[in-house]
Amino acid sequence: MKLRLNSVVNMLALAAAMVAASSASAQSAGQWTAKVGAAEITPKVDSGDVSAPALPGTKADVGSNTQPVFIIGYGLTDNISAELDLGLPYKHKLYGAGAIAGTGELGTVEALPPTAFIQYRFFEPKAMLRPYVGVGITYAYFQKATGSGQLTAVSNIGSSTPTTFKLDNKVAATLQLGLVVNINERWFVDGAVTKSFLKTKVNFSTGQTQDMTLDPQSVSLGVGYKF
Amino acid sequence: MRQTNFALALLTAAALAACGGNGSKGGDQTLKTKFSSQVTFGDSLADVGTYKVGAIAAAGGGEFTINGDNTAKSPVLTGKNWTELMAAQFSLPVPCAAQTGLQGTASLGFSVPVVNHTGCYGYAQGGSRVTNPVGPHNALTGDPLGLMTVPVATQVANHLSASGGKFKGDEVVFVMAGGNDVLALMGGLAAAATAAGQAAGAAAGAAAGAQTFATSLTTQLAAGATNPATAAQAIGLALATENANPAHTSTSLVTAAVGAAAIQPGNSAVGSPAVYGPMVAQAQADATAAGNTAGATAGAKAGADYLTANGPANVPAMATAGTELANLVKTQIIGKGANFVVVNNLPDVSISPSAKAQATSTQALIKAMGQAFNDALKTGLGSDAKILYVDLYTLSDDQSVNPGPYGLSNTTTPACGTNALAGSSLICNGSNLIAGDVSHYMFADDVHPTPFEHSLIAKYVAEQMIIKGWL
Repeated sequence: MKLRLNSVVNMLALAAAMVAASSASAQSAGQWTAKVGAAEITPKVDSGDVSAPALPGTKADVGSNTQPVFIIGYGLTDNISAELDLGLPYKHKLYGAGAIAGTGELGTVEALPPTAFIQYRFFEPKAMLRPYVGVGITYAYFQKATGSGQLTAVSNIGSSTPTTFKLDNKVAATLQLGLVVNINERWFVDGAVTKSFLKTKVNFSTGQTQDMTLDPQSVSLGVGYKF
Repeated sequence: MRQTNFALALLTAAALAACGGNGSKGGDQTLKTKFSSQVTFGDSLADVGTYKVGAIAAAGGGEFTINGDNTAKSPVLTGKNWTELMAAQFSLPVPCAAQTGLQGTASLGFSVPVVNHTGCYGYAQGGSRVTNPVGPHNALTGDPLGLMTVPVATQVANHLSASGGKFKGDEVVFVMAGGNDVLALMGGLAAAATAAGQAAGAAAGAAAGAQTFATSLTTQLAAGATNPATAAQAIGLALATENANPAHTSTSLVTAAVGAAAIQPGNSAVGSPAVYGPMVAQAQADATAAGNTAGATAGAKAGADYLTANGPANVPAMATAGTELANLVKTQIIGKGANFVVVNNLPDVSISPSAKAQATSTQALIKAMGQAFNDALKTGLGSDAKILYVDLYTLSDDQSVNPGPYGLSNTTTPACGTNALAGSSLICNGSNLIAGDVSHYMFADDVHPTPFEHSLIAKYVAEQMIIKGWL
């Protein structure tokens, strides 16, 4: 994890160095920006029941997680911009809920939600405070779904085969509300809240399935640089 | 330059996205507590093969479920009961019966020396009660099967004597009993009710038969007289007079009646045996029919009355058994050093095919008995960090009314077909099931679960153990 974070910083530094010679311009049409920061993603889970055979009302909950994010933006006009949000995978803990509430952590999964936004930025490009709204498309990519002895015990007890699972990758709509605080001509601070509308399905190796509405909400804060 | 920047950004994105694959893994399968062994006390619901000897083993049986590995037929037909699934999940050796043997009829292959097995901690035996040594099919009941039915109290004592008078402390202990107390009490009640019913039925049947015989014979004998009414009166008087004679017999009664009938005007022909003989036979047939009907009615009523009067006594008897089991757990298991004791309460016997075949009032009684046992057990156990009380009663009730989510396809029909032990799951296996896919049935026989139901029980126990913080 540390290694990955370092490499992101290095790449960012490299990018900054490469554009250092380019002509300065206002935060306006045709301008690139890069931001690094951290985002806490909190799924607002509405879990379906695990399909038979299971205790009726067997549900799941998903914990929140914070990871570094890397965001690049491009000004299409002085007020309309495009943005691509990338980041390290969020590592979420999955907990038993509903009829099996209290069983605690049963598994983990990593989620990569790259999102492309089209944004509208208020006020003049040189204004110190520039609130913005965005609408975007998120591709929720799940990886490294990892079970546990506890998950096997409640789903396939006594079997020599540990229970595994995976989540369907899905496209989701995302809304964004943010605020840029320009510190100087180049540097700015950017805070944003996003809400995605994401439904997926968990597929267990036991043949059971579970529909999950995740609807993650993300709060991010970062520092950006205008090229 | 801008294009370069964008290309760089894309490269970065690609590098980030490329981290790691999409591999799903089972993850760390170790559980919170590493138990040194699994010790099980109880009855057929936890028996791992006490009677898997002699003709039982030869018949492909030995456990009280659908025996044998039939996973080729259906993945859930593992032949394993819940304790075997738990042991596998705990990475412990396959549990073995602490004692094996049979004390029944030798000619049937049911007489096999009783042997204790050192290092085997599966003490649960089919037929075992909490403290009473004579459970269903015990040799002392005269049953040809001759199950040992060592009661739970003795099972625990046997374990203590085999392990230096104490538990080590790092073993998991399973306790599950009470079902045979229900079956034995209900069996005793049914036998007594039947006896009472038969006695009452016989008396009522005899009285009704005698009355019908007199009426039928009188009517037939009088029918040929000029004045049948007068004749009937005379015949009835003669019968009553002879009946009052302490030395009367059925022959003397017939003689008196025929004599009185033949002297009536126009009725002399009836004095001939050829004429009155068939009339007597008819009267006897009428009497038998009436006697049987009256006897059956009176017998059923007397039996039901007996159940009504004496059945409720089974409820406090079950409460006593529940308290005894709780005390056993506290003084002889926890008190002797065990730290992880899972006590399953008694599933609802009233939902079993065995109970469903009986009258509604009997089902209600069985339900009340189970509740009384569980209430006393739970109260007796109290709250103790070393005890996990698992409510299988509620689970079984929910399964019976809401089978879908559990994956149960049938909760009323036994999966086992006819066999040499009246359909008992003890010799039920893949070769003698009823037709069709029974893999997801709840019951193997009239009281015992299928391997699939055992897996549901095991998963529920495991889930409760996880919540308790033990797994």
